[in-house]
Amino acid sequence: SSVQSAQTRNAILVSHRQRGNPLLKYVRNVRWVFADVVCDYLLGPNSCALYLSIRYHLLHPDYLYFRIRELQKNFKLRVILCHVDVEDVVKPLQEVTRTALLHDCTLLCAWSLEECGRYLETIKVYENKPADILQGQTDTDYLSRLSHAFTTVRHVNKTDVVTLGSTFGSLSHIMDASMEDLAPCPGIGERKVLQHNCIIHNSLSVRV
Amino acid sequence: MVQFHEHIISDLLEEDPTSKNNGGLVILSSCLAVHKLIASLLTLHSSTEGTLLILNSTPSQRSSIIQCLELQNHTNLPLEITSELSQTHRHSLYTSSSAFFITSRILIVDLLNDKVPTSLIAGIIILNAHNLNETCTESFIVRLFRGLNKVSYVRAFSDKPNAMVAGFGKTERIMKCLFMRKLHLWPRFQVYVSQDLEKDPPVVVDVRVGMSGLMKGIQKAVIEAMDACLKELKKTNKVDVDDLTVENGLFKSFDEIVRRQLDPIWHVLGKKTKQLVMDLKTLRKLLDYLVRYDAVTYLKYLDTLRVSEGVRSIWILADSSHKIFEYAKMRVYRLVQANGEKLTVPNKSVGNKKMKAKEDNSSEKEVTNASSGVVIEEVLEEAPKWKVLREILEEIEEERQKQAMPLEDDNAEDDSGIVLVACKDERSCMQLEDLVTKGPRQVMRDEWEKYLRDKTGLHGLQTRLQTRKGKKPKYNPRGFGILDGKVPAMPREHAVASSANRLEHDALLAAASSIKNLSKDETIVIGDDPQPKGGSKGRGKGKGKGKSKESQGKAKVSPSKEVLTRITRKRKSEMAKSDNERGKGESDFVDAEVLSEETETSKSVNNRVLPIHNEEVNATEFPHVKPLPPVHFFALDSDQHILDILKPAIIIVYHPDMAFVREVEVYKAENPLKNLKIYFLFYEDSTEVQKFEASIRRENSAFESLIRQKSLMMFPLDQDGHCVGPATISEPQDLTSQNSLTRKAGGRKEAAKVMQVIVDMREFMSSLPNVLHQKGLRIIPVTLDVGDYVLSPLICVERKSISDLYQSFASGRLYTQVETMVRYYRIPVLLIEFSQDKSFSFQSASDIGDDVTLSSIISKLTLLVMHFPRLRLVWSRNLYATAEIFASLKANQDEPDVEKAMRVGVPSEEGIVADDVRAETYNTSAVEFLRRLPGVTDSNYRALIDGCKSLAELALLPIDKLAELMGGQKAARTLRDFLDAKFPTML
Repeated sequence: SSVQSAQTRNAILVSHRQRGNPLLKYVRNVRWVFADVVCDYLLGPNSCALYLSIRYHLLHPDYLYFRIRELQKNFKLRVILCHVDVEDVVKPLQEVTRTALLHDCTLLCAWSLEECGRYLETIKVYENKPADILQGQTDTDYLSRLSHAFTTVRHVNKTDVVTLGSTFGSLSHIMDASMEDLAPCPGIGERKVLQHNCIIHNSLSVRV
Repeated sequence: MVQFHEHIISDLLEEDPTSKNNGGLVILSSCLAVHKLIASLLTLHSSTEGTLLILNSTPSQRSSIIQCLELQNHTNLPLEITSELSQTHRHSLYTSSSAFFITSRILIVDLLNDKVPTSLIAGIIILNAHNLNETCTESFIVRLFRGLNKVSYVRAFSDKPNAMVAGFGKTERIMKCLFMRKLHLWPRFQVYVSQDLEKDPPVVVDVRVGMSGLMKGIQKAVIEAMDACLKELKKTNKVDVDDLTVENGLFKSFDEIVRRQLDPIWHVLGKKTKQLVMDLKTLRKLLDYLVRYDAVTYLKYLDTLRVSEGVRSIWILADSSHKIFEYAKMRVYRLVQANGEKLTVPNKSVGNKKMKAKEDNSSEKEVTNASSGVVIEEVLEEAPKWKVLREILEEIEEERQKQAMPLEDDNAEDDSGIVLVACKDERSCMQLEDLVTKGPRQVMRDEWEKYLRDKTGLHGLQTRLQTRKGKKPKYNPRGFGILDGKVPAMPREHAVASSANRLEHDALLAAASSIKNLSKDETIVIGDDPQPKGGSKGRGKGKGKGKSKESQGKAKVSPSKEVLTRITRKRKSEMAKSDNERGKGESDFVDAEVLSEETETSKSVNNRVLPIHNEEVNATEFPHVKPLPPVHFFALDSDQHILDILKPAIIIVYHPDMAFVREVEVYKAENPLKNLKIYFLFYEDSTEVQKFEASIRRENSAFESLIRQKSLMMFPLDQDGHCVGPATISEPQDLTSQNSLTRKAGGRKEAAKVMQVIVDMREFMSSLPNVLHQKGLRIIPVTLDVGDYVLSPLICVERKSISDLYQSFASGRLYTQVETMVRYYRIPVLLIEFSQDKSFSFQSASDIGDDVTLSSIISKLTLLVMHFPRLRLVWSRNLYATAEIFASLKANQDEPDVEKAMRVGVPSEEGIVADDVRAETYNTSAVEFLRRLPGVTDSNYRALIDGCKSLAELALLPIDKLAELMGGQKAARTLRDFLDAKFPTML
C-alpha cells in the first residue's frame, strides 16, 4: 500500500461531500481521488480548501461558519474557494469576507468552474515552488525592462520607448536629454516631454 | 477683458439673497480666455472677504493667470501652496486673506486635520470642472467645507463643453457634488459673445494648399484602414455602431466612446477586438502626423511603429497599410539601378519632384552598392505648406516695406510688427525655424541623414526580437477578410534574404555608412546636430552633456534666458560656417545679440513665459532670396497665451486649431484698433479641414445638449435653502453604524463614537478616502510606511486596483509590501478592488487556458497566498463595497493608534519628526521610475533618493558613488550597466 500512499500524496484528496460537483471536471492537470477528509479538498499536508458557491451561501448563510469550525486548527493554509455565481454579489460577498477573515481563512474568488478548478490545481502543482517569480526577478530582456520603467511616465508607450532609445542610444542619454532635445522626436508631444521632464529633472525628494 | 467677460462676471457675482445662491458652475466655449476671467475675479477679490483658494489648476493656467495679472500691474499675485511648505507656514497663509493656488491633496489633508480656519475662507474657485466626479478629492473638499461654512462661495469653471456632456447627466452630477445650483452657459454663439467677437473681425486669408499625390494616397489608405477596422469592430456586435464613424475617429474622444462601451465587457473581448481598438488609435495618430511631420520623419515614425507594434497589429498586415508604407517610402527615396534605370514601381505621384543632385556632394547622394548595383535615389519630398509659408512671408515683407516708406511714425507705434506662426508642437516650431533660416533643402537633408543613422539601429532591434521570439509564429498568417485578405507585405517580410527588400536594405546601409564616413571627414555637415548618435557617439555625447547640464542649472531660474542663449550660440556656429560672408556675419551676430537682449528685458517683466523661439531673419544670410519679416514661431501645445505679450499684427496659422482661433478672436476684440491679418494654411481635401470643422460642430452640439439639460435639472434643497449634497440623499449616514451595532444589545445607541481609519497620504490620489468619509468614518491622514489603511491595531490593508495588482506583481513590489505587512500586523489584508464600470472578474472562462502557467494572475495570486498563509484577501466590487467591508471589519475592533501606525516599518534612526510629511514630499512617479530600474531594491532606494537630487543626476553618478549609496558593488554594477547599455543597434 506504499504505492497507494505515494499516489495519494501527489493527488488532491476530495471529500465525498463534493461528489457530483461539476468543478471536478475541470481539475485535469492534477490527479484527484475521493477520500474521507474533513475539508472539501485536501491539497497538501498543511493546506486545505472549502468550496462555497455564493448561491448556496444565500440559501444557507450559516453553512460556511460550521464548516470552518469543523476544520479546527489543523491547517496552515485554509482556503475558502468562493464561486461567484450570482449577479448581485456585494452583500453576500461581504458576509463571506467577514467570516473568512475573522476565522483565519484565505478567501479566493473565482467566477467560473474552470477558474475554481484552476485554483485547486495551481495550489497542488506549486506545492513546493519558491516565490521568486513574485519578487520581480523575472529575467526579461533589455527592451521590456526599459519599457517597464518608462511606463511610469504617463502617456509614454512602447513605440515612444523605441523612438527614444534609437534617438539617444542609451538610458543615461535619455535621462540626460533636455526638453529641446526631446521635442524633435516623432510622436513625442509637448505633454510627454513635460511629463518626462518632471520625472527626470525634478528632485526626488523635497525635504522641508 | 472683453465686454462679454464682464457679463460673465457680473452674472456670476449677482447674489440672490433669498435663494442663498453662493456659487455656480460656468461653462464656456473653449479658449474664451478663462485665465482672464479668473484674473479679473482675483483683482475684484478684496482682503476683507478672507482667503481665496484656487483648486485644480494646471501649471500653464497658473502661469497665464499670473501673467495676466502682471500685465494689469496687479501687485498681490497669488502664491502656490504646495507640500513643500511646512504646516505652520500653510496655516499662516490660510489666515492671510489673500489668494492662493493650492493642490487638492494638501487642502484635503489640512481640512481633515482641522488646520484650515474655514470661517476665514472667502471662497473656493475650482478650475477644469470637467475633470471632476462624485468621488474626486475636490468634491470631498467642497463637502467638508460646506459642512463647516455655508456662506462662502464655491465657483467652478470649465472650458471643455464636450467633456461636460461625456457621461449621463454629468454636469448635473458634478454640480450636485459641489453643492451648486446655478449653471452659467457661455457658448460662442451666445449673443453677447458673438456680438463682441464679430464687431470688428480681423482680415482672414484662407490659403488652401494641395497635398502631394503621395500624401493623398497615404491619407486615403489610412482612412481605408480605419474604415475597415471600424467595420470589423461593428461586426463584433459589442458596440453601439451609431457613434462609430470615421469622422468621430479623428478625435481623441473616440477612444473614450469605445472604451466606455467596452470597459464593462473588456475581459470577455477577444484579443482581436482589443487590438482593433488599439489600432484605431494608432491610425488616428498616423493621420494627424501626416500633415504635421515631414516626409522623412513620417517614414521614421512608421518604421518605429513596425518595430514596436508589427507583431501584434492587425492593420499593419492589411493591403491598405502596405500602401501607407510604400507611399511614405516613395516620398523619401527610391531604388534605382546604378545605371539609372528605375527598380521600383513607376512613381504615380504628381507633386513629387526629383531632387537634382548637386555636383559637389553627389558622393553622398548616390551610393552604389558594389555587389548589387542598386542605389538609393533620394526623393525627399518637401511638405507643400513649406513653400506656401515662405511665399506668404515674402509677400508680407514686400507689403511692409511698401507701407513703411510713407507711414514711418505709425509703424513705430505698431510695435515691431512681428509675424506669428502658430503650429501644433514644439517640433514643428523648430523645423519651421530651420526652414526659414536654412532653406527646405537643408532641412530635409538633415532629417534624411538622421534617418539613415537611426535606421541601422532599428534594424538591429528587429532582428533581436526575431531571434528572441524564435519559436512563436511571428506574424498572423492571414489578414482580415474585410481588410482585403491579401497580405502582400508578408512574404517579402519573411523572404528578406532573397527579395528586393534585401537589396533595399543593403543600399540603405551603404548610404548610412557613407554618411557616417562623410561626417568624420567634414564635421561641418552635421556639426550642429544636437543629438549624440550611434557612430559619432563620443563626440556628440560630450557636447550634449555640457549643454544640458548648463541648461539644468539655469532652467529653473529663467527658462527663456536659457533658450535665447542657446539660439545665439546656434547662430554663432552658423555664422562661422558661412565663411564667404564673414564680415556680414559679424554684424548679423551683433544683431542677434541685441535682439536677445531686447527680448530678455521684455522677459524679465514676464519671466514666466516659456521658451520662445525668436529668430530674426536677415536678408544678409541669403543674398539670393527675398527678404523676410521677423518671425516668431509658437507651439500651440505649449498652452501659453502669448498674443498679449507679442502683439503680432500678422498671424499665420500653420496648423489650424479651433482653440487658437478663439484666442485670436478675443485678442482682436480686446484690441479693436489693431489691423490684424490672419492667414490660415489648410491642406485641401484633407482630414485637417474636416477635423477643424467637426470640432466646431461638436462644440455647438455639446452646448445645445447642455442647454437642454439645464432646463431639466433638479436640485434638492434643505429647509434653509442650502443645496443638499448627493451623499446625504442616497446614503443615510447612520446606516453603517446601525449595521455594526446590531450585535450589541439590539442596536442600543453608543455614545457618539465615530469609527476611525488611518489613511496613508498617497491614498488621497484615489477616491476611497472620500467614500469612506461619506460612510461616516473619520479619516486620519498620515504618512504610512507599511500598508495603505490601518483599520485597527490588528488590521492593516494594502489596497490594489486591478491594474495596480498586475503591475505590482510584475515589479515584485507586492511581495515586499505583503512581507512587511505580515511582519508588523496580526491581520494583514490585501484588498483587491475592482472598478464599478469594469467587469467583476479577472478573465473569462475561455481565457483561462488548459495548463497552469506562471504568467497567469491565478498562479501569482495562488503563490502569494501559499507563501503568506496569514495574508487575508478581500475582494471588493467597487469603492462603495470597500467602504461597507471596512465598516463591517471594524466592528468589535479597537480604534487604531496613529502614533504607532506611523512608526511601523520606519527605520528607527530616522524617527518621527513632529508634523512629519515625508511621503507627500516625494516625487512619487520619479521614485516609481527609480524602483523599476534593475539593481534598485526596497532596501536601497531610500539611500539613492537621499544621495542624488534627481534622476538626471543619477544617470551621471560614477559607479563608486552608486556602490556607496546602494550598499554593494553588485547592485551598483547592475544599475550602471543598465543605464549605459547601448540601445540595440546593428552598427
